[in-house]
Amino acid sequence: MLFERRPLISLLILVAAIVCLWLLLAAWPAELEAVIGRKRVFMNALFNGITLGGLYFLVASGFTLIFGLMRNVNLAHGSLYLFGGYVGYTIGVATGSWLLSFLGAFVAMALLGVILQLVVFRRMEGEELRQTLVTIGISIVLADILLWMWGGDFYQIQTPDWLFGATTLPFVLAAKSNGEAVYMTYPMVRIAILAGAIVIGVVMWLALNRTRIGMMIRAGVDDRDMLSATGIRIQIVFVAVFALGAGLAGIAGVVGGTFQSLAPGEDTRFLLASLVVVIVGGMGSIPGAALGALLIGLSEQFGSVYMPTYAVVLTFLIMVLVLAFRPQGLLGAR
Amino acid sequence: MASVAQRLSAAGAGHAIDLRGVSRMFGALAALADIDLQVRSGEKRAVLGSNGAGKTTLFNCITGDFLPTAGRVRFFGEDVTWYPPHERIRRGLRRTYQISLLFHGLSVLDNVYLACRGVSRGRFSLLRPRRDDALVHAAEELTDLVHLDALRHRKVAELSHGQQRQLEIALALAGAPRFILFDEPAAGLSPGERAELIEVLQALPSHVGFIIIEHDMDVALRVVESVTVMHNGRIFKHGTPAEIESDPEVQELYLGHGHA
Amino acid sequence: MAALEHSAGLPAGAEPAVAPLPRLIRDIPPAAWLVAVVLLVLPAFSNSFVEAQILGWSFILGMIALSLMFLAGYGGMVSLVQMSVAGLAGYMVAILGQSSIPTISLDWPWWLVVPVAVVIAVVFGTVSGLLAVRTAGIYTIMITLAIASAFFYFTRQNYVIFNGFAGFNALPAPQFWGVDWRHPVAFYYLTLFWATLSYGAVLYVERTPFGLALQGIRDNPRRMAALGFNVNLHRVAAYAFAAVIAAVAGILLVWLNGQVSPGTAGIGPVIDILVIAVIGGLRHPIGPFVGALIFVVLRTFALDLLTSVGLAGERFNLLVGLGFLAIVFFSPDGIVGLWQRWRRSHADSQARQSAASHPGGP
Repeated sequence: MLFERRPLISLLILVAAIVCLWLLLAAWPAELEAVIGRKRVFMNALFNGITLGGLYFLVASGFTLIFGLMRNVNLAHGSLYLFGGYVGYTIGVATGSWLLSFLGAFVAMALLGVILQLVVFRRMEGEELRQTLVTIGISIVLADILLWMWGGDFYQIQTPDWLFGATTLPFVLAAKSNGEAVYMTYPMVRIAILAGAIVIGVVMWLALNRTRIGMMIRAGVDDRDMLSATGIRIQIVFVAVFALGAGLAGIAGVVGGTFQSLAPGEDTRFLLASLVVVIVGGMGSIPGAALGALLIGLSEQFGSVYMPTYAVVLTFLIMVLVLAFRPQGLLGAR
Repeated sequence: MASVAQRLSAAGAGHAIDLRGVSRMFGALAALADIDLQVRSGEKRAVLGSNGAGKTTLFNCITGDFLPTAGRVRFFGEDVTWYPPHERIRRGLRRTYQISLLFHGLSVLDNVYLACRGVSRGRFSLLRPRRDDALVHAAEELTDLVHLDALRHRKVAELSHGQQRQLEIALALAGAPRFILFDEPAAGLSPGERAELIEVLQALPSHVGFIIIEHDMDVALRVVESVTVMHNGRIFKHGTPAEIESDPEVQELYLGHGHA
Repeated sequence: MAALEHSAGLPAGAEPAVAPLPRLIRDIPPAAWLVAVVLLVLPAFSNSFVEAQILGWSFILGMIALSLMFLAGYGGMVSLVQMSVAGLAGYMVAILGQSSIPTISLDWPWWLVVPVAVVIAVVFGTVSGLLAVRTAGIYTIMITLAIASAFFYFTRQNYVIFNGFAGFNALPAPQFWGVDWRHPVAFYYLTLFWATLSYGAVLYVERTPFGLALQGIRDNPRRMAALGFNVNLHRVAAYAFAAVIAAVAGILLVWLNGQVSPGTAGIGPVIDILVIAVIGGLRHPIGPFVGALIFVVLRTFALDLLTSVGLAGERFNLLVGLGFLAIVFFSPDGIVGLWQRWRRSHADSQARQSAASHPGGP
C-alpha cells in the first residue's frame, strides 16, 4: 500500500487532509480571512468548482469512452452537447417536465450516435485520422444547422419547482457576534446534479468493471484486434459505446442549460473543456475523467474568483504540467 | 564493405559475442537459464529450438531490449551488459526483426539510405546530398547486395513480402556492422524467395559474423558453420550442421515434431 | 516522387552540345512553368481586389496550411497550433510596432519588429511541439487544439499585453525601401514571394536527410530509434521549421488586415486551416495553396452562391462543412490526390490503348 511504500508522502497527505477538513468545517479566524478572503466566497467557489466538475465529467466521460475504445477523437462531441441541450429545452418547454428533457436528450443523441457509427465511422475502420477529420466536418455542419434551427439566442432551461431554491449545508461560514454559527446555503439543483453525476459515474464504473460487456470494452481498449479475434461482435460494442457517449453528451447539455445557458459557442467551449479534462485525467479512463473534471472545474472557479485575469493560465498551467511530466494523463495507462 | 570494420574485426581475436551465465527471469518463469554462449568474430551460427525455447529472449538480451537478471554480455571484448540498445548499435551490432519494420512511404533506396544515415553524423542536415555523396553510394551498393537494385526507387508498400524481407537485411547491413542478429529472416517466404535469401546470406562479407534464429532448417543449416540448439531456456546441444541434423536427441526434441 | 538521384544522364563519353541546366531546374514540370508565368504577370490584367483580397490572402492562408501539411504529411503529426503561431507573430507586430494602443505598443522600427516577432512565434511553436511529441499520433490533434484554445482565451482575457477582446487596430501599412507594401500590387508580389519561397523550401527539404528522417519517423518511429535517430528531437525540430513558415505568414496577415484580435487565431480560423490543408491535400506542398484558393474564392462569393440555390447567405459554414466531408469521404488525399489519381488512370488507359493498337507484344 502507499502507506508502506512511501511513509513520508502518506504523512504529508494525512496532514493536508486534516488541514482541509478543518478549513471546511470550522469558522475561519479573522487573520485567515484577511489573507485568503471571506470563507463564504471560498466555499462558494469550492462548491461551484465541484459541481462544474460534475458537469465536465458528464461531457468528458463520453468523450474518453469513445476515444479509449475506438481511438476516434470525436471533435463533434461539443455539438452533441449543444444539440442535446436544445432538444432537452424544446422537450422541457413542450412537456413541462425537467426529467423528460434528460430522457429526450439522451435518446435523441444516442440515436444520432448509432446512425453516425453505423453509417459513417464503420466505413473507416482503422483509419483514426480520417474518422477524426470526419467528426470535424460533422461539427461544422451541425453547428451551422443548430444555428439555423435555434438561432443565436441564449436558452435557459428552467429549474423544476421541486429543486428550486437553496438548501442548508453543514458547513460553518462564520460565527455571528452572539456565537451562533452561520451555515452555508447552496442551490439545491446544483447539488442534485452533482449527485446525479456521481451516480452515473459509479454506475459506469461498475458496468465497466463488473459486467461482461464492460469487460469486453476494457479488453477492447487494451487490444482491439485481440478482441475481434475472439469472435465477439465488436461492431455492436462500438455502436453501443458511441451511442452511450453521445447520450452522455446530450444529458450534459441539459445540465449545462440548467446551470448556465445554451447558445452558439457553447459547443466549442465544452469540446475544449472535454479535451483538457481528458488530457489531464488520462485517455480512456473513467476515473481519470472524474479526477480531471474535478481539477479543471475547481481551477476554473477558483481562478475566476481569485485571479480573474489569469484564470485561463491556471487551467492551462495544469495541462502543461501534466503533459510535461506525465504525458499519458494522471490516471492514463502508458 | 568498409575496410575499417574488417581491420577492427581482424584485430579483435577474441569472441564477438560472449555470454557468461546469462539468465532472464519473467517472474517465476526462466526464459533464459544460465546461458554460456561464445561466437567468434566472423563466425556464422544458427540458434535453433522449438517455440518457447528462449531464442528471441536471447536476442533481446544481446541487443539490450531486455536486461539480463544475471550474467554478463560481452561484445568484442567490451562488457555491454547494461548498455542501452543505441550504444550497442553504435559499436557495430545490428538486428533484423521477425516482422519487417520498414518505412512504407519511402523508396527502397531511401530506406537503406536512412539506415546508413542513422549511424553517421549529419542526420539533421538540411542540404540535399550531392551526386557523389558517399552514403548514397553505400546505400546503392547495399541494394545490389540484397538483389533489390532493380527496385531501388519502388516504394516499400509496393514490394512483395519476400522483397521486404530482403530490404530488412539491407537495413541491418548499413553502416559497417561487425555482427548481425537475424530474427527468422525466412518467415513467410515462398521456396523461390527462400533460395534467394540463402544466396544473399551466403554472399555476406566473411568478416561479418551473424547469429540466425530460424524455424526453417533448410535455410539455417545451409548458411552457417555451427549450430546451437536451445530447449527450455538452456543450451541443449552444440555442433556442426551435419552433426546436429543427424543427432537423434535433437531429432526427437525438435525435428521429430513437424519438420517440413 | 523524384528519386534520390536521377541516374538518367548522358551516355558515357558523349559531349553535350550546350551546358545542361542545373538538375533542380530541369526537374520542374512544364505545367509549373505556366503557372509561374501567369502568377508573375497577373497584376497586368487583374484588379486590386483580386490581388490583395483573393490571391494575397490565399498565399497567406496557404502558407499557414503549408506549415500544417509539412508536419502532417511528412511527420505524421496533425498540428492545430500553426494558426496560433501565426496569430502570435501578428500580435507581436502590433505590440512591438505601432498600433491604436500607444500604451502597449513599443514603436520599434520594422526591421527590428519582424525578426523578433518571428523568433517569439517560433519559440511558441517549438514549445508546443515539445508538449505534443511525447504522445502517440492521434493525441497530437487534441493537445495542439487545447494549446490553440488556451492561446485564444488568454489573448481575449489579458489586457496588459494583448489588449483583450478588442485587440489592436490601426496597424500602419508596412512602408520601407521606398515602397508602400500594402499597395495591392506590391502586397501581391510580397506574398507571392514568401509563398513561393516557403513552397520551394518544403519541397527541397523533403529530400534532405532531415526531411527523409522525418518521413521515416512518420512511417516507423520504432525502427528509426533502432537505427540510431533521436525521434523526439527530430519531431521538435520539425515543429520549429514549420513555425517559421507560419510566423512569416502571420506577419503578412496583420499587414493585410491592419488589425489583430483574439478572433484572428480563434477556434474557427484554427479549424479552417485544417480544412484548407485537407481539402487541398496533405501529400504535396501545392495542396495547401490549392485548398486556400478554393476556400478564399468560396468565402468571397459564398453569398451569391448560396442565394442562388435558395439558402440564406449566412450558411457559408454549412457549405464548407459539406464540401469538407465530401473530400474526406471520397478523396482523403484531397484535391491534389484526386488529380494525381486521375492522371495515373489517364496514363494507364493511354498505355492500354497503345498496347491494344500494337498487338503481338514488343
